[in-house]
Amino acid sequence: MSSLCIHCNQDAPVPFFIVESVNKTGPFCCQGCLTVYNVINLKGLSEYYNIKNNISEFRKRAPVQLNENQYSYLDDEDFLLEYTYTSYSSLPTMEFYLEGIHCLACLWIIEKLPEFVSGVHSSKLDIGRSVVTVTLNENGSFSKVAQEFNTLGYRPHPLKLNQESSELKIQENRSMLMRIGIAGAASGNIMLYAVSLYAGADATYASVFNALTVIFALPVLTYSAYPFYRNSYLAIKNKTLSIDVPISMALIMGAIMGIYNLVIGITENYFDSLTALVFLLLISRYFLKLIQEKGLSTTDMHFFYQGENILKMSESNDNFSVIHPKSIRVNDILKIQPNQIIPADGEIISGNSYLNNSLLSGESQLQKVLPGDKIYSGTMNVSDEIIFKVNSVNKNTRLGSILKSVEDGWGQKSKIVDLTNKVSKYFVAVVLVLAVILFIKGLYQGNAVTAFEHALTLLIVTCPCALAIATPLTFIRTLSKSAQKGIVIKDDAVIEKLSSAEIIFIDKTGTLTENKMRVTEFNIISSSQLLIYSIITKLEKNSRHPVARALVEFCADKNTIELPIEDLKEVAGVGISANINGNFYEIKNYSLFENNNLLAKFKVQDSLRKDSNEAINKLRFLDINLKVLSGDKKEYMEEVASSLDLMKYEYAYELSPEDKAGIIKASKNTVMIGDGANDSIALSYADTGIAVHGAMDISLRAADVYLNLPGMSPVVDLVVIAKETMKVVHRNLFLSLFYNGISVYLAFTGRISPLSAAVIMPLSSLTVLVSTIVGTKELRTKWKS
Amino acid sequence: MEIIIILIPLALLLAAFFIAGFVWMTKKGQYDDLETPGMRMLLEDKIINSDKQTQKGEL
Repeated sequence: MSSLCIHCNQDAPVPFFIVESVNKTGPFCCQGCLTVYNVINLKGLSEYYNIKNNISEFRKRAPVQLNENQYSYLDDEDFLLEYTYTSYSSLPTMEFYLEGIHCLACLWIIEKLPEFVSGVHSSKLDIGRSVVTVTLNENGSFSKVAQEFNTLGYRPHPLKLNQESSELKIQENRSMLMRIGIAGAASGNIMLYAVSLYAGADATYASVFNALTVIFALPVLTYSAYPFYRNSYLAIKNKTLSIDVPISMALIMGAIMGIYNLVIGITENYFDSLTALVFLLLISRYFLKLIQEKGLSTTDMHFFYQGENILKMSESNDNFSVIHPKSIRVNDILKIQPNQIIPADGEIISGNSYLNNSLLSGESQLQKVLPGDKIYSGTMNVSDEIIFKVNSVNKNTRLGSILKSVEDGWGQKSKIVDLTNKVSKYFVAVVLVLAVILFIKGLYQGNAVTAFEHALTLLIVTCPCALAIATPLTFIRTLSKSAQKGIVIKDDAVIEKLSSAEIIFIDKTGTLTENKMRVTEFNIISSSQLLIYSIITKLEKNSRHPVARALVEFCADKNTIELPIEDLKEVAGVGISANINGNFYEIKNYSLFENNNLLAKFKVQDSLRKDSNEAINKLRFLDINLKVLSGDKKEYMEEVASSLDLMKYEYAYELSPEDKAGIIKASKNTVMIGDGANDSIALSYADTGIAVHGAMDISLRAADVYLNLPGMSPVVDLVVIAKETMKVVHRNLFLSLFYNGISVYLAFTGRISPLSAAVIMPLSSLTVLVSTIVGTKELRTKWKS
Repeated sequence: MEIIIILIPLALLLAAFFIAGFVWMTKKGQYDDLETPGMRMLLEDKIINSDKQTQKGEL
C-alpha cells in the first residue's frame, strides 16, 4: 500500500493524513512533510504545490528531515562578527548553505522570505550552489530566519565567508568568461575575413583582410590563450607534459608564421582555425569547471559551522542555556536531548538512555548507557535526556582523532594522471620527431626556408584540438547528468578511477541497511491480529524506547481498536506492562505476553535497504569484487551476509575505523562506500570514496562522491556510466588522433594549406561531439530526465 | 565595392562595442550566477497572475 507523499513525492510506506471533519488531505510520507505542508498553507503559499506539479524537472528528492533546532547562537555578537558582512546598502548580510534545495519551487519559497518573515530585507538564492544570501533590516534576526528555513524543511548551515578566497574565485570566473567572450568574438570576425580570403579576394583587399585577421588574433593568442601558456609552463617546470604543451606550441608557431607572412606580404595564416580552437577549448573547460563546482565544494565544507546547539548548565545556578558546540569547554555540564548528537567526549552524570553508536563504530544495536558511563562525540542520544560532564573537546575526542586521520588520508591519496595527459606525452614526442623529419626532408630537396615552413606548418596543423576537447566534453555530459540525478562528484578524475574499479568495499550499517530499527519478523502464536496490534499500540504509544517506536510504526497501518488501559508501567531495561480488561499484558524480550502466556514473538532489527540485494547482484555482474566492512558485532554482520548471499571472504566484522582503512590500503583500485565517521578514514584512503545519502559531515568531507539519493543503486549506475564514459573517451581519443594522422599525411605530401586545416579542425571536433552524444546510450537510458 | 571602405570600419566598431559591453557586464558581475536568474524569470510571471497584490519590481 505504498503511495506517494503529496509534499515530497517520495514513497509513503506508512502514510500520514490530515483529517478535517470529512476531508482527508494526504498522504504524507512523514510527520515532517505534514508539518511543512501545514506551514506552507498557513503562510498562504499553497501556490508552491501548483508550481511543483508543473515542473517536469522535479527530482524525487525529499527536503532534508526536520529536527527542532534552536538557532539562537546566530544572534551572538561574536558569531555575527565572524559570519556577517555588510551589503552595499550597509545592512547585515549572511550566507547559508541550505540542504535539500532542488527545484524551482524551492527557489520561489525561499525568495519569498521577506514577505512572511519580518525584518528580512532580501533573500537571494543561488540554486547552483544551494547558497542563500540573506540581508536583514535593522530589526531582523538571523536566528529567526534560520528557524524559518528549518521549518520549511531546508536545514541551514551558516557559511563563514572567506572574503579573500571567494573574491578570488569570482575574479577567476569573470576573467575566464572574458577570455571566452573575446576569443569567441575575435574568431567569429576572423572567420568573415578568412572566408573572403579563401574565396579569392583580390590583392588589395586580401592584404587588408589579412592584416585584420592578425589584429583580431593578437588578443586571442595572448590574453585568451594565457591559461594554456601558464599550464604548459607549470607542466614543463614539473618535468611533465600536459595536453596544453602541444596546444601552446601550435599557437606560438601559428602566431610566428602569421606575423612573418604579414611582414613579407603573403596573405596566408592559420588564425581562423587557431582562434576557433582557443574558443572551443576555453568554453569546454569552463563548462566542466562549472559543473564540478555545483553542489558543495570542498572549500565550502570547511567553513561549515559544525553541529547543533547544546544546552549548557551555567556555573552560578542550575539553569541551562543554549550554546553552540564551538564554545564547549572541558568540565562543562551539558544536557543532551533525545535525537541530539553528542558534541564532546565525557561521562554521564544523570539519566539513562540508549545511544546509537552506528556512525562512530558501525554497531547497529543501540547501546544502553547509565550514569558513570563514558560517551563519545559523534554518537546519537536516542531515548531519554542525559546530563554529562565534558572530558575532552574538539581534537582530543575520538571523533577528532578520526578527523586527523582523514586529513592524513587525503594527503596520501594518489593523484592519477588523466588519460589525455598520458596520451599527450607520446603525442608531443611523435609530432616533434615528425617535424624534424619533415625539415630534413625539405633540406634535401633544396630550400631551407620552405623546409622550415613545412615543419612549422606540421606543428600548427597537428594541434590536438579534438584530443583536448574530447575528454572535457564527455565528462561534462556525465557530470551534469549525475548532478541532476543527485550524485555530486567532486572531481572528474573519479570517473576514470571508477571505470577501472576492481574491488568495492561497502559499509554495513547505514549503507546496506537503513540504520533504523524496524520490525522484521512478527509471528502471532495465538489470539487475533486485531487484538494484538491494538494492545501493542496502546502499550507502547508513549514509550521512547527504540523497540517501542519500531513496534508503534509497525502497527500504524494496521487496523486497531481503542482499549481501556490501567497500570501502565515501563521498567527501563526490562519491558512494559499494563492491565487491559482485567488481563495482564507485558512486552519484554521481543515478545508479547498475556497473563504470562506467549501471544506473539517479533524481531526488531536494522533492516536492509530495499535495493541492497539488487545492487550487490548487479555489482557482481560487472565483475567487481565486493567486501562488506563492518564495525558491527559478528552475529549481526552474519545475518546481513546470509540475506545477501555473501561468501565468507566477502565480509569482515568488528573493525575499527583504522582497521577499515588498513584493509583498503592493502588493495588496489578501490572504491569505498560508507556513511559514518567510522568509514571516513577508509573513504579518504580509498581511490574513490562514496558517501551515501544521510552521511555525516565528516564523511562528506572525506569522500569524492556524495549521493543525494538513498540506497546503493545510484552507485551501480555510477559505475556502469563511468565505464561507458571512459569507453567514449577512448573512442574520442582515437578519432581525434585519426584526424591528426590525416593532417600529418597532408603536411608530408605538401598538400596542407590554411584551408584544409580550416576544414579538418572543425570536422574533427564535430565528429568528437557526435560520438559523445551518440555513444552515451546507457547514460541516456538509465538517467532519463 | 568602395562601400566596403565604410562598411569594414563600421563592422569593426560594432564588434568593439559589443566586446566592450561584454567585458563591462562581466566585470559588473552580471554573469556570476548563470542559473538562478533564468528560473527567477519564470516565477515572476506566475506570481503576478495568481497574486495581484505583488507589485512590479518586487521580488
